[in-house]
Amino acid sequence: MKILEIKNVHKIYNSSEVQVHAVNGISLNFDKGEFAAIVGPSGSGKTTLLNMIGGLDKPTEGEILVDNTNLAKLKSSSLIDFRMRNIGFVFQSYNLIPVLTAKENVEFIMNLQKWNRKSRDRRTFELLKSVGLEERANSRPAKLSGGQQQRVAVARALASKPKFVLADEPTANLDTKSTETLLDIMEQLNREEGITFIFSTHDARVVKKARRVITIEDGKVISDERKN
Amino acid sequence: MIWKTAWKNVWRNKVRSFVVIISVTIGIFGGVFMVAVMNGAMEQRVDAALNEEIAHIHINDPAFRDNYDIDLTIPDLDSVVSIVSQTPGVRAFTARTIITGMANTAAKSAGVQIIGINPETEKSVFRLYETTIPGTGDFFATPGSHNMAYIGQDLAKELNIIRYVIDENVLDSLRGKGVPGKTLDKLAPYSGTRFRSEKTFKKEMKSVLGVKEQQAYGAMILKEAWSFRQRSKMTLTFLDRNLVQTGAVFRIAGIFDIKNSMYEMSQVFVRNDDLISLTGLGPDEVHQLVIALNDLGSTETVAASLAQKLPGLEVMDWKEIQPDLAMMTDLTQKYYAVFMAVILAALAFGIVNTMLMVVLERTKELGMLTAIGMNKRRVFNMIMLESIFLSMVGGVAGMIVITATRGINFANYTEGLEAFGFTAHIYPSITPLFFITVTLLIIATGVLSSIYPALKALKLDPAEALRTE
Repeated sequence: MKILEIKNVHKIYNSSEVQVHAVNGISLNFDKGEFAAIVGPSGSGKTTLLNMIGGLDKPTEGEILVDNTNLAKLKSSSLIDFRMRNIGFVFQSYNLIPVLTAKENVEFIMNLQKWNRKSRDRRTFELLKSVGLEERANSRPAKLSGGQQQRVAVARALASKPKFVLADEPTANLDTKSTETLLDIMEQLNREEGITFIFSTHDARVVKKARRVITIEDGKVISDERKN
Repeated sequence: MIWKTAWKNVWRNKVRSFVVIISVTIGIFGGVFMVAVMNGAMEQRVDAALNEEIAHIHINDPAFRDNYDIDLTIPDLDSVVSIVSQTPGVRAFTARTIITGMANTAAKSAGVQIIGINPETEKSVFRLYETTIPGTGDFFATPGSHNMAYIGQDLAKELNIIRYVIDENVLDSLRGKGVPGKTLDKLAPYSGTRFRSEKTFKKEMKSVLGVKEQQAYGAMILKEAWSFRQRSKMTLTFLDRNLVQTGAVFRIAGIFDIKNSMYEMSQVFVRNDDLISLTGLGPDEVHQLVIALNDLGSTETVAASLAQKLPGLEVMDWKEIQPDLAMMTDLTQKYYAVFMAVILAALAFGIVNTMLMVVLERTKELGMLTAIGMNKRRVFNMIMLESIFLSMVGGVAGMIVITATRGINFANYTEGLEAFGFTAHIYPSITPLFFITVTLLIIATGVLSSIYPALKALKLDPAEALRTE
């Protein structure tokens, strides 16, 4: 089932003298349940593409459709609401709210969506359990390791049951062991719960786990491989 | 969750938050304390004026206050008294005969207002009798005695009725109160000397005592040397109703001490019977009815009601009787508002600066929050709540400090303050309404201070903000 369509998307940045074509006519489709990695060297356009998929940035040309909704046509306030309900984000530097505990970080979006306390608590516990951090629920980010913080970030990204999760270089700041743990958890969530993950990465360990690898260079897709 | 997050965010940078909170605390404490002191001073002044000097309402002939003509008495007194006593809100009233005259002793004379009163009804309206200096007489509890006068301490000093004496008893008393022997040795040569005025006594003390001794023991020595000779007398002279000069000798049967020098200097109270017999007025002829009410707030209503019922008479409430006091009361209310507004405006700039730093420091986090779905209204509310919390914590701390403050003693300015009717020891006074108003103003300051920083936060582009290091 197709959940994301990228149709001939371009992104051009105009600085004072130079025009940068960060994304240059990319077209891709993603189905529900994919575990895909977008790879490429620095400056290839991975993050720009991910930002546009996540509705954080608008394409200069082309369309991005999430469940047939054209993100470019949504008003700013609707787009924020759309992101909250449909897209989960995992950032390279975790970006947890430092003053809140792991539990509070995970339930933050559920609070924004006005879930009742009982459902919120149940979902938060499930998610923290699934990332192996139920016993650190009341720890603040500063008391957690980088790997643990990123697992909390994954749990937060899944809190609102999004259509897909975008992870921008999620393992870039993690050591080998933490990377493996995180990837195992995400893979497990993908296989068992059918959650779609799209990564941008140049980490070989992530590429190895991914079942689809899209390589881009100079803003263009140069290969799109699916593994069995 | 927004409230909780905002509250926790306040404590993210504790040092910075405490700096802002302390500045708000000091600002609010300073502002509210000054307002409380001014308010306390005004309340004490109004309370003293109403309970010791003028009461709430006066009724007299419309022309009486122009020249205090002895013939301008209240016509048909019985019916006026009947109307007053039946008017709701009236607690008590007393009738007064008022003439102007001279008070004379062998040493000096002073122009005074001589007020004939009935001590019993007077006590039901005023509590001036409570201010009688112990040992100076009992004017209000000596029925049957005639030609007794009750005067203020400053008039007694002016007429040299009060003197200053140093004798063995005074020296012993001072020794008992801890005055060192060295200082007492300087006073010993004056033993048995009587000083006719406070001024000469102070001058003499200044010449023998050092500055530190004066500061430490001057007030104590003045108080101990204060001397009133029982059965002191003075002559009151005035014109009777036939414009013939008359007068009589009156024994001082009490000296009152209030915080209004002008009143102390100008008022002499005698029994109405004595004044009637000297002036030729009849027993039912009085110049003024003075009324005390149950409730200060009902003054204007009761005064209007009485004015309607007594069309031929002048009915004045305390604000008309003492317009200067009324004006000061009204002005201070406006002054409070301006004073607090200036302080809060100054604090607001500090809070704006802090909140701008907060937004700048948390650019990446704010970008993340917008990315994951926190809409603009919520971001705005979160910044605003942080600003309100910062203001409120400081504001509440400031107000707690104020409630713990007992009072302020301007002892060094006693004479100056009492010349204007104010007491030297001022107790800060704040009404619950003022606390509520200040709280609302603090919240408003928090809201206003957050607008610019919050708008800055709203303008952040999430993709760019997330790239910030």
